[in-house]
Amino acid sequence: MTSAAAPVVATPTDLDEQTLVVRAQEGDVRAFEALARRHQVALYRLAVRVLGNRSDAEDALQDALLDAWRRIGSFRGDAAFSTWLYRIVTNRCLGLLRRSRPTTPVADLSEAGDVVGATRAASPERQAELDAGMTALAAALAELPHDQRVCFVLRELEGLDYTEIAEIVGTGETTVRGRIHRARKTLAEVMRPWR
Amino acid sequence: MALTPRLTPEETRGTDPVDTGPVELLACGRDAAEVWDHAAAGTLDEHERDCPHCGAAAADARGLEEMVGHLAGQSLVPPETVVDRVVGAVLAELRPRDLIPLDSPHGPAALDAAAAAAVLRGVVDAMAGMRARSCRITRPSAPGGAPGPAEVAMTVTARFGVDLASTTARVRQMVLAAGEQALGVPVARVDIEVVDVFVDGAGTDGPGGSS
Repeated sequence: MTSAAAPVVATPTDLDEQTLVVRAQEGDVRAFEALARRHQVALYRLAVRVLGNRSDAEDALQDALLDAWRRIGSFRGDAAFSTWLYRIVTNRCLGLLRRSRPTTPVADLSEAGDVVGATRAASPERQAELDAGMTALAAALAELPHDQRVCFVLRELEGLDYTEIAEIVGTGETTVRGRIHRARKTLAEVMRPWR
Repeated sequence: MALTPRLTPEETRGTDPVDTGPVELLACGRDAAEVWDHAAAGTLDEHERDCPHCGAAAADARGLEEMVGHLAGQSLVPPETVVDRVVGAVLAELRPRDLIPLDSPHGPAALDAAAAAAVLRGVVDAMAGMRARSCRITRPSAPGGAPGPAEVAMTVTARFGVDLASTTARVRQMVLAAGEQALGVPVARVDIEVVDVFVDGAGTDGPGGSS
């Protein structure tokens, strides 16, 4: 009936997501902390790519997680918990972008450059080319209309499907598909010299 | 041939009309986004492989895909302090929501229901093959107005293969004892519902569901 290999006490990190969500909804802060730690990397990645810099992304993540704690009682489990969190972060990012002056470039290019370079090329020349291309892509991403940028990031960089993205941004799949396609076309045009 | 999809009123309401239009068709009549998706997934059909219009769209897709792949591969990790700050703020603003009255000869005393639930969940988590999920504790008034014995309603998940009857009986005994000894509250009723099963090593992100 019992296994010798079984952990004696289940810690929050051992627990399945639904158990953690129910516990957090009943006021268990440690369960919420485990959920926050489990999802923070994906949420931060989304925020950096939408906002274009790490500092604003940290603030957005922090505010979004606090918001999630305050509203966790309203999570009904109709969608995945990760989708619900993505939605909160997305709304926080869009709110920040809407408040920023439209004439100010959203991405700080020096910081966009800072996040470049996970993949190392075979030669220094190719690496320099790759870095320049990535910086150009980050800059072009920052110039996209906000809604297009969010949909593109969720699809192409986070790998979500159209249904999940529609759920996150609160619109229909047709609109999501259109936004992603327009973003792709714009970016492909900008990136042609790097092909 | 794919038809140009029409937008529902929900899709156009309150959004920029430029940004809600359907995806255009290529000169050959194919849906441009569909061709792009096929190119990215490596599932172009015969027409798409031979058609110059589809070929141009597919070339754009592949060109962008390579650079986007590099961008997606970047490691972006938030500083540890972000969650620490969030938890600090949560704890600072924490207020007892539900209180369980305690029997005390020295005046009114009460226990935070969330803290009491955490104690009982800990008792279940320490048992091999069981994990507590929901734990609700109430203490209805007895005739005469004094708080009566507590009633506990728990949902638990069990390791696949455990003997549910004997294990839940043991959970009940442990909860009865912990109520009395750890919380100082007599427990008259413990309802236990097994709502899911887990397998060791696969329990950290299961889809959940009832059983």
